[in-house]
Order: sequence, then C-alpha cells, then structure tokens
Amino acid sequence: MAAMKRRDFVKAAGAAAVLGSLGGVSSLTLAQSKKRVVVVGGGYGGAIAAKYIRMADPTIDVRLIDQNSRFVSCPLSNEVLGGERDIASLTFGYSDLSANHGVRFVNNEILEINPEKNYVLGNGNLKYFYDKLVVSPGISFDFDQVTGYDEAATKVMPHAWKAGPQTLLLRKQLEAMPDGGVFYIVAPPNPFRCPPGPYERAAQVAHYFKNHKPKSKIIILDAKDKFSKQGLFTQGWKMHYGDMIQWVSGAEGGIIDEVDPASMTLIGQVDEFKGDVVNFIPAQKAGKLAHVGGLTDESGWCPVDQKTFESSIHKDIHVIGDASIAGKMPKSGYAANSQGKVCAAAVVAALNGKPAPEPSYVNTCYSIIAPDHGISVAAVYQLKDGTIQGVEGAGGLSPMDASERTRALEVEYALGWFKNIAADMFT
Amino acid sequence: MKKRKTVFPAAVIAGIMLTGLAQAGGVRSPSMLANTCAGCHGTNGASAGDYMPIIGGMEKEYLYTSLSEYKSGERDSTIMGRIAKGYSDQELKAIASYIARQPWVSSPLQADSKLAAMGKAIHEEKCKTCHEEGGRLQEDETPRLAGQWPDYTLVFLEDCRAKGERCEPRKMGKRVMELSDEELKAMAHYYLSEK
Repeated sequence: MAAMKRRDFVKAAGAAAVLGSLGGVSSLTLAQSKKRVVVVGGGYGGAIAAKYIRMADPTIDVRLIDQNSRFVSCPLSNEVLGGERDIASLTFGYSDLSANHGVRFVNNEILEINPEKNYVLGNGNLKYFYDKLVVSPGISFDFDQVTGYDEAATKVMPHAWKAGPQTLLLRKQLEAMPDGGVFYIVAPPNPFRCPPGPYERAAQVAHYFKNHKPKSKIIILDAKDKFSKQGLFTQGWKMHYGDMIQWVSGAEGGIIDEVDPASMTLIGQVDEFKGDVVNFIPAQKAGKLAHVGGLTDESGWCPVDQKTFESSIHKDIHVIGDASIAGKMPKSGYAANSQGKVCAAAVVAALNGKPAPEPSYVNTCYSIIAPDHGISVAAVYQLKDGTIQGVEGAGGLSPMDASERTRALEVEYALGWFKNIAADMFT
Repeated sequence: MKKRKTVFPAAVIAGIMLTGLAQAGGVRSPSMLANTCAGCHGTNGASAGDYMPIIGGMEKEYLYTSLSEYKSGERDSTIMGRIAKGYSDQELKAIASYIARQPWVSSPLQADSKLAAMGKAIHEEKCKTCHEEGGRLQEDETPRLAGQWPDYTLVFLEDCRAKGERCEPRKMGKRVMELSDEELKAMAHYYLSEK
C-alpha cells in the first residue's frame, strides 16, 4: 500500500514538476533536490533497507556501502562446519540488487561518520553525503572480558561468529582433529548474535563426528545458565548423538576467565579445560563503525527510537540489525530483515515529510539438529509504549512432541527460508 | 524487476483510508504487515523455492481463509499457526489483499515430462472440475496450482492424503486418498508444467 501511495505521490510530484518548470523552476533545481540515502553494511539489515527504500520510492538515491564486495551469510554457516554445505552457497554479490532496484553499491570501508555535516568518510578520503544514513554494522567482539583472547588468538581458537575465513579455519581444525578428540565450544554471555547458534553448531559438528570420528566429544562451556530452545536442543542432541554433547552451565563452572592459546587451555573459575579444537565465541558489542560513529551507549549497543530505528544519539542516522537495541527482538538475520523494512518505511516517510508509519516486525529462527530434524522459534512483534514487544498468544517454539514428519519438514523450511531471505536481500 | 498489477480505484481509496487511519490511531498499513512475510515467501510473495509456496498473486479470499485457518488451527502447519496468531482478523485481511495484488511469478523449475504426463491424466479424471484450466484458474476457495513449486504442492497433497476424508474439501480428500506416492509427485509436476 505504501508503494501504491508512493506511485501516486510520484505522479503528483511529476505534475508539480511540469507546473514548476512552467512557473520557471529549472530542472537543475529539481535534480539537486533528489534525496540521498547512504546505507553502510550490506548484510541482512542493510541490503534490505537499501532495496525497500528504492521499492517504496525510486526517486531516492540509495548508495549501499560495504568493505567487502561479497557477503557471506552467518545463518547456515554451521552447516559448513558440519561438512554439509559449501561456503560458496552462502556467498552473494550485489549486482542484481543494483540492476533490479537501482541501488548503487560502493565497495569501500567507512572510517568515520560526521553527523554535523551529514557525510561518512571512506578510504581514499572519499566522502559520501546523505540526507538519511542507515548503519547496519553487525557485531564486534569484546576482547577485554577474557584474558588472553585477542585478535591473534582468533587464529588458534577461532570464533567463527562472522562467516568467512573463520568458518573455514574452524572446519579445517575439525577435519584435522583425531577421532577421540575433545572439541570445546565456549558460548558467550547475553546479548549476542544468533542466540541458538552455539547449540546448533554443537549439533552440526556432532553430525560430522558421528559419521567420521565417533569417539569424539563436544563440550559446551557456557557463560549462561540457560539458552535458546534449550529443551528442544537437549532432546535432539540425545536423540541423534547420545552422550556426545555435554553442556556446562555458568553456575556449574562454564564461565571462562582466561585462555592460553599456546597450550589450547581454557581457564575457568573452577577448572581448566584442554581441548583438541576450541571454538571461542567472545562476548559481543555493536560493530566497530557504531562505536567510531558515537552511536553506542554504555551497554556497547545502539539505542534507537524503536519505531523508526533512528539513533537516540544522532539525528538522521538509523541503526538496524544486531547493533541496535530493539526491545524484545533477538539479534538474528530475520530480525535484521524485518527491522530493515520498518526502517526503510520510516526513512521514506521522513524524506517525504510524512510521519513514520506504525511498525510491524517478525522473527523466525530455524536450527538444524540433524538432516531430518529441524526446530524453530517464531515471534510477531508490535510497538507498545515505545518498545518492541511480542504479541501475546503468538509465536513460540516447535512442539517437543513433534512428529518425525514435522521435524523433517522444518529442515526443508529452514533451507527454504534461507533461499527466500537471500533472494529478498540480493535480487 | 517485475511490474506490479494495475491497482483498481477502489483499492486505492481503501488504501488511502487505511493509511490515514494508520497515522492517526496506530493501524499498520498492508505493506508494513505483508513485507514481514517476504523473509520466508520471497519479495512480494514470489517464493524462491523449494517448500515455500508462491503466494503473491493468489486470490485474496483464498489467502485470507488460509491465514484464518492457520490462526484457528483448522489448517495444520509447522510455523504458520504460531505466526498467524499475531494478527487481528482485519490485519490478516490486509495482508491477504496486499499479497493478492502482487504479480504471480511461476517457479522457474522444469517439470519432469513423464511425471507431468501421468499427472495430467489424473487431473483430467479427478481434479479439473474444480481446478480448471490446468490449475491456472483461481477462485475464492480454489488456489492457483499452475507454476507452483512442486515440493510445496506435494507436501499439501501428502497432508491431504493422510487426513483422507477429513481433508477439506471432503471430495478432494476422497480422491487424493486413492493416489500413490508416485501419483502425488506426478500431480505436483503436472501443475508445475502448466505455468
């Protein structure tokens, strides 16, 4: 409906332009009045915001800027670790987004935001001016919380929490691990990207071990005392992998204070653990650009008006996806997609001098426990008292007593979800 | 990309009225509501596959009935029931209208010609009185089948067969009950071939 209204607006604007030029307004003035949106970060949030702004109002000039020319999806990258999927199948370019929607893609790293003069600065001293800026910077890691885990340690104990070389490194280590080895996953404290991710990862790696290294063990050392879809994961792990996966809660000694990559040791509050392969997923905060641009608060994340995703700190800068503080929404790909659309509608409305529309948001997260066993969590959200809240009576988890057919179908839907959300982003 | 269908004046008026309300009293616009579906069903409901049905361009009444039945639990689902419960009936209607106005974009898959031929024979005998024009015709209670992703059609038929006479409409349940796995697959490929 917004699109339709938009078209009417464009017609009206066209008519005004005709009248205007008759009245003496030069076409040059009109060209200069073209509104400019810059989107930084071309993932689940940013690519969607860029596309949906253009879909709603093709008169707006939209640049999408990312430091990488290709995007690698974090969702489904656990399947690469399990050996079920090639990373190429998770890798996307921006050419269709440009060709189909007129989004101008720029491959550059943004180093600075100037909120007073409304530009972002990239390498080569290039400035990109905006009327509205959308930032979708994802996450960065808080290396201060654990002694010994730093950039260098990521090469030995990969986090694999940003898909790409880190995913491939961890996969290589798992392949090289002898049968009977111990694989540790250190799961981060809340809030973090993809709440079910570490537990799906355990299942995917167990699937690989079961077929290739059946004497091996997987131990999750958790900073938390409970986790997403816990009942469903625990049931699924047992069903498919017996006792291969062990979970240690924070209270039971799962909290890790220090690591020693040289000896592959994790030092906890109670015990020390030595692993053959260690996947260390650090505590997280908003992506680097959010910090550089002064968009974060003391929590390390970005406070926003949850109706529009406009920063509470800087006017005309919107922050979406994992980096934003978005009420009850988790830091997930679907949430970022949904936020990208709400933000796009708000940006288009603002640039046309209209109030922000009432938002609607959804999240859906699938986890694949085995090739024939999928589970999901879903939620529908609304804005209530200024914050994003779940609609009561809606959403929730897959049932514990789901039939074999339902569990198998949820895997197909997980794969279908990925095809469609990727198409929504990149075509 | 794809061109949108021409919008009818009545819909334009209704749309303006709805949007007007949205600004005044917190009503969410049809596009705002419907865009959240695209994460699973593709932009404007043009699904990229395989088990996710194409919904863009389906008949409004059929979409609304499906959503209502997901909400009430009358229609089985893995996740749609959980999602549909998050909307009022009026919102489900708005979602259905918006998605119905989008163009139908058939699956680009090539049908298996042998299966499609087998499916055509079954269609002629059992299905065509309701699913006219090779499944292209759609009415309030009859979804478009032509060009649909075959994995989705197959799941729907398997569910219907498992329910037998409890499958709605009953006469369809009775007919689908008699079909083998291969015949169901043939039906899915036949309708794919009619895009």
